[in-house]
Amino acid sequence: MEFVNPEGLRLDGRRAMEMRQLRAQIGAVSKADGSAVFEMGNTKVIAAVYGPREVQNRSQQMSDQALVRCEYSMANFSTGDRMRKPKGDRRSTELSLVIRQTMEACILTHLMPHSQIDIFVQVLQADGGTRSACINAATLALADAGIPMRDLVTSCSAGYLNNTSLLDLNYVEDSAGGPDVTVGILPTLDKVTLLQMDAKLPMDIFENVMQLAIEGCKAVANYIREVLQENTKQLEVRRGV
Amino acid sequence: MLQSKVFSKRTRGGKVQKTVREVYLRDDLPCGAPFCKVCDTSKARLSPSASSPILIVDTNVVLSQIDLLENPAMDNVVVLSVVRDEVKNRNIAVFKRIETLCYNSTRNFFVFYNTLHKDTFVHDVSGESPNDRNDRAIRVATQWYQNHLGGQTRVLLITNDRENKRKATEEGISAETIESYVKSLGQPNLLDLLVKPVSEDVEMEDADALRPSKRKVLYAEHKPMSEITSGLRCKIYHQGKLRVNRYNPFEAYVGSESIGDEIIIYGRTNMNRAFDGDVVAVELLPQDQWREEKFLSIADEGEEEEEEDVHLAPNSADDALRNTNPPNSADDKNSVPCRPAGCVIGIIKRNWHSYSGSLEPLPMPAASGSIAHALFVPKDRKISKIRIQTRQLENLLDQIIVVAVDSWDRQSRYPSGHYVRKIGEIGDRNVENQAVLMENDICDEPFSRQILNCLPPLPWSVSAEDLANPIRMDLRHLLVFSVDPPGCKDIDDALHCTTLPNGNFEVGVHIADVTNFVHPGTPLDDEASQRGTSVYLVERRIDMLPKPLTEDICSLRADVERLAFSVIWEMTPQAEIISTRYTKSIIKSCAALSYVEAQARMDDSRLVDPLTTDLRDMNTLAKIMRQRRIERGALTLASAEVKFQIDTETHDPLDIGMYQIREANQMVEEFMLAANVSVAEKILKHFPLCSLLRRHPTPTKEMLEPLLRTAAAIGLNLDVTSSKALADSLDRAVGDDPYFNKLIRILATRCMTQAVYFCSGDLSPPEFHHYGLASPLYTHFTSPIRRYADVIVHRLLAASLEINKLPQIFQDRTQLTSIAENLNYRHRNAQMASRASVELHTLIYFRKRPTDEEARIVKIRSNGFIVFVPKYGIEGPVYLTPRGEKGDGEWFVDEQQQQVKKMDGSVSYSVLQSVKIHMEVVEPQPNRPKLELSLI
Amino acid sequence: MRGLQVSLNQTQKIRLQRALQQLESLSSKVNVNASVTVADTIPVNFEDNILKGHGTVERDGELVATLCGVVERVNKLVYVRPLRSRYKPEIGDIIVGRVVEIVPKRWKLEINFSQDAVLMLSSMNLADGIQRRRTAVDELNMRSFFEENDVVCAEVRNFQHDGSLQLQARSQKYGKLEKGQLLTIPPYLVKRRKQHFHHMEQYGVDLVLGCNGFIWIGEHVEVRDTMSGDQVSNTEQQNTKSSTSTNYMDLEEQEQGYTPLETRQNICRIANSVRVLSSLGFNITVEVIMETVDLSGTMNLEVHEMLGSEFYVLVAEKEAERRCSSGKKKG
Repeated sequence: MEFVNPEGLRLDGRRAMEMRQLRAQIGAVSKADGSAVFEMGNTKVIAAVYGPREVQNRSQQMSDQALVRCEYSMANFSTGDRMRKPKGDRRSTELSLVIRQTMEACILTHLMPHSQIDIFVQVLQADGGTRSACINAATLALADAGIPMRDLVTSCSAGYLNNTSLLDLNYVEDSAGGPDVTVGILPTLDKVTLLQMDAKLPMDIFENVMQLAIEGCKAVANYIREVLQENTKQLEVRRGV
Repeated sequence: MLQSKVFSKRTRGGKVQKTVREVYLRDDLPCGAPFCKVCDTSKARLSPSASSPILIVDTNVVLSQIDLLENPAMDNVVVLSVVRDEVKNRNIAVFKRIETLCYNSTRNFFVFYNTLHKDTFVHDVSGESPNDRNDRAIRVATQWYQNHLGGQTRVLLITNDRENKRKATEEGISAETIESYVKSLGQPNLLDLLVKPVSEDVEMEDADALRPSKRKVLYAEHKPMSEITSGLRCKIYHQGKLRVNRYNPFEAYVGSESIGDEIIIYGRTNMNRAFDGDVVAVELLPQDQWREEKFLSIADEGEEEEEEDVHLAPNSADDALRNTNPPNSADDKNSVPCRPAGCVIGIIKRNWHSYSGSLEPLPMPAASGSIAHALFVPKDRKISKIRIQTRQLENLLDQIIVVAVDSWDRQSRYPSGHYVRKIGEIGDRNVENQAVLMENDICDEPFSRQILNCLPPLPWSVSAEDLANPIRMDLRHLLVFSVDPPGCKDIDDALHCTTLPNGNFEVGVHIADVTNFVHPGTPLDDEASQRGTSVYLVERRIDMLPKPLTEDICSLRADVERLAFSVIWEMTPQAEIISTRYTKSIIKSCAALSYVEAQARMDDSRLVDPLTTDLRDMNTLAKIMRQRRIERGALTLASAEVKFQIDTETHDPLDIGMYQIREANQMVEEFMLAANVSVAEKILKHFPLCSLLRRHPTPTKEMLEPLLRTAAAIGLNLDVTSSKALADSLDRAVGDDPYFNKLIRILATRCMTQAVYFCSGDLSPPEFHHYGLASPLYTHFTSPIRRYADVIVHRLLAASLEINKLPQIFQDRTQLTSIAENLNYRHRNAQMASRASVELHTLIYFRKRPTDEEARIVKIRSNGFIVFVPKYGIEGPVYLTPRGEKGDGEWFVDEQQQQVKKMDGSVSYSVLQSVKIHMEVVEPQPNRPKLELSLI
Repeated sequence: MRGLQVSLNQTQKIRLQRALQQLESLSSKVNVNASVTVADTIPVNFEDNILKGHGTVERDGELVATLCGVVERVNKLVYVRPLRSRYKPEIGDIIVGRVVEIVPKRWKLEINFSQDAVLMLSSMNLADGIQRRRTAVDELNMRSFFEENDVVCAEVRNFQHDGSLQLQARSQKYGKLEKGQLLTIPPYLVKRRKQHFHHMEQYGVDLVLGCNGFIWIGEHVEVRDTMSGDQVSNTEQQNTKSSTSTNYMDLEEQEQGYTPLETRQNICRIANSVRVLSSLGFNITVEVIMETVDLSGTMNLEVHEMLGSEFYVLVAEKEAERRCSSGKKKG
């Protein structure tokens, strides 16, 4: 299968290092303390954050930090064929854990002892890179909820097909079975908080692919920062004095 | 960068599924014209002069007229991506050709990605078929070109679609059909390359109307695709690849998974226009029409003048006649149904490409210059004759030409095609060779400059760096020598053997370190991987690697220091391997012996120099190893290899004879086998999923059937339950004459398939078995100069020793599998080419020398038998009844005895019987020489 | 950017946009540049011995925000005032909360804080108004004060060492809220003021703007002591008054159990005003609410029509106009 044509264009017309279009909207769930919809091309994810709030299960309460919980799910309609079991499968459990760990690493949990933070992420439309989109949406929702964080976490994936490193794989490219590297970074601290790949790649190529993914994360970070800045400004302006 | 979305519906697995895809439309795609003022012209490929028009080709033009497009007269062509994609979906072979055209720097072909350009992207319109949409896209792109280049040059849409052309003209686009464009170029020869469009079939049929007999419908209609798929699903039809019997073009087999057996298809009518290699849908005939066991006569369907040729004796079941006869288990003949027979009802995928051959001589030559119809006879007997039209008939008559197939309609007996190019005169050895190479898809182009740039500078010698390299062991002090056929220049293996103080032997196999020069990912490596193997023809060799590497840098010649990859064993005098070492090394061979020389040294008891002692030690070890191998069940197979003595001046064969195998050959072979096995074990241990191994499948009962039947006829009982049992019973099969055993072995060899390369991740360990060598693991390591498989194995071994990193392709199993498949394909083709070359030379040899010779009957037919001539390794039919006559009742076949008897019982010929025959080259038609065998 | 969850037609969109732009231009001079997002550096001069406040962290010698919000500087203190976040209590805040749980000697209230707030039985005035130790009988009768899901108004008393929050309700103005609606809005829209209890006389409605973003709109209740802190005599008076009146007030009480339709409509009208204002993200003060209610009155809008898109636009325009004029006054 030809994923990159000789002109260097991918199936959807992007070049190798181009991302899909990013879109973000804050405040999609009015009930929640913080929420956001994040889109990377046709991948669309909604995230809602509740908390910090009273811990529901007393035994889980921690006296020195907040409890962070995360639930990931895919909407039944998110893929072409309707799924029967949208929740509780191994993939969802794994993704929930990944997102929770990634977000926990950046939340200043020690500032909110005896409380819990719930992050709900749901994929509304899946077209590859859901993992990254979920993390980006969760970051936005957390920032919207006014939960103190060390840094924003942003994520992006990159792959390697037809001997080319490709940024931000879509579903067709993702399902080609090539390596898919998902990276999450703390952009201002310049640290990697998430790195996943379930294939083998030679070291030099891997580094190349990972570097590309990091560039992607930085681009996402710039976008998210812009969105948040604009949002804060608007809120302040509207509130008036 | 603009963006828009496309919504498409796609069905998969019968379900309707909606898929949404994004398309990012671009504004940075160049138009490809060097004189364009707007676009980036750095990648422009079109002709720099604005005078010649820019041709935009439609899909149907590319698909049907690719031969024409390859002609340099067609130039300045824009291939739109919509066309490119459609071609890719419709015909991958044509796609590859158009791709090479587009990246050939001497041609001005440019791919314009209209589907991703913001101005030429077309949205789906409801109610419009994909075809119409693509046509519209082509028109939109053409329009864009016209506006974009704004009158600087002419933009011409070339389409053979009438509707498309009409719409284009309506929209103000200049459009022409390919015919009118080619005519406007004024080169009449180009017209021959032109494929007659289907629309013109009407005219052709009018011409045929003069011969009403031809008008009748000869073939059943192909079923529509929808019916075929539904039929396949409910198991009424069966899908498979059609393989035509090499010796009988009227018989074909379809290996069907749904039945688990091969379906036989008899006759042209049942084959229903299918070609060899086509994927077809087959319907089974009612069981009463399945042919009962019966010996087909040599020439079938009398009206056709098809006959068997004399040819080289086949070496394995792959190139031999398939077992045509149903199982003959004697006692319950009636209850066992014979092989299912069927007829083709539809063709799922065509395997048409171009074929080489010559025109059938016409009784009356057509007037020169005018269009003439002619019949083309392909060299490949599996392919039907092809009807072509030409304007240069008289030029082509005595030529070997290449013809491509275009169509085959129900009314015509033969498919119609068009002339592509000519190779040369019939009978000219070079031309015939060229045809052989082409037929077997062998590239003998000289290596490109790019590839030659990858070579180290000459003269090359071992550098100080190599000597200092810690991974490279200095073995120059050892007495290393090589044993090869005389005149061998590409010496890729050498040996040494020393006695250790403890009485054991150290035996080393040193293989040319090709991977030190051929690095993965270089053009040199890519080319070698494509070629797969060197090809040995009778009078020349087509190298896999460029000559400096093959004959100098890598070749382990005598008295020069060379880099090697060594396998070194410590062996007891009983030839038990105690330890194995693998290392890169530097060696200095002290002698490059030929087999004859080595044999002579060993036999000459007066010689006691170290080299000869080593040789004798090795020979002793080899004999033990060989014995042990045979005990394990390795088969000693035999093939009828022949050897030519070629006149150095004329390159004509002077003498021909069986290849003699000496002890020295067997000695070298034994150590090579051992090295290969050791390496196979090592690499599989390190890379269980991505090793390249070689396996030889155990032959099935049916495959051994003809051997058993023949053996039974002469009262020989062969046990085929295991390779060991077979080997033993072959050993026991000693007849009264010395050649008998060898003949049986030749017949046995013929029943087996060839060994194949495979990727270890694709099969489970029990399937790795090599039947012929009775070895659980085997690979090829010892000839990296002439086989690419060995190059891969060298890399694997180096990686397992942590000398090099494992190259990237090993990560990708599908890629490795496809490499293995290519190697098998190339390997087979190389063998076929060698055989064809030998056949060609045999013919040349006998042209001047009619000979009488002893021959053996190997197969019985109702009107004769097939004989094998051991001395020349050829096989061919001998007719008992004169050609053309059926000879009814005069001869009959006794199946049990495998005999053909005269009715009155006076004369009978049985299988394996020795007969005297006369061989002579006859020319029944001018320029069509063939070898004829007749009984004396 | 946060979107409004009402569908607007084209003209309404443009009008809303214009109004919002106007708001933006008005406040552009104010400290807009002080807004930061997570991980932004806050420019400070460390030589001034600044104090790091909430929402900041020091990293590599720089002050970095951990929240999205507005940088505030009070003398040496530098902190980030978050906009959307949960309620950050301060002692003395008047809050409205909902009882979620009754545990021995205390009620637990959900007040949009990171934990549930605690209202001790001892921080309540007893029904008889006598200051005494709470007995086991009092504990058993806790439900006669507040049951689960009751809405309660109280004041932030102090923080415990473990970070939990204690409330007190030792005043007649605090206590259970009945016959009305509870609205929850983002707490940053409620400004701390002197007065959080409002009696809207013309509507007969009480409005409590809880600092935690819980807003109570209910039927006006007369028996409210405006004095903070209670005096025994006062309660006694009331007690005698109520005890004498109970005999003949039975009927009246029954009547009081039922809120007149008009009052209920007014409650809804005010509640909808708050909803509109909060979803537009405007500051919520009693004045603005009143203006909005008046606006709906002058437009002759039914209560339900207030949540229509047109009213949103009108409110936005009105707000722009208001701020414009107030800005001019200042200027």
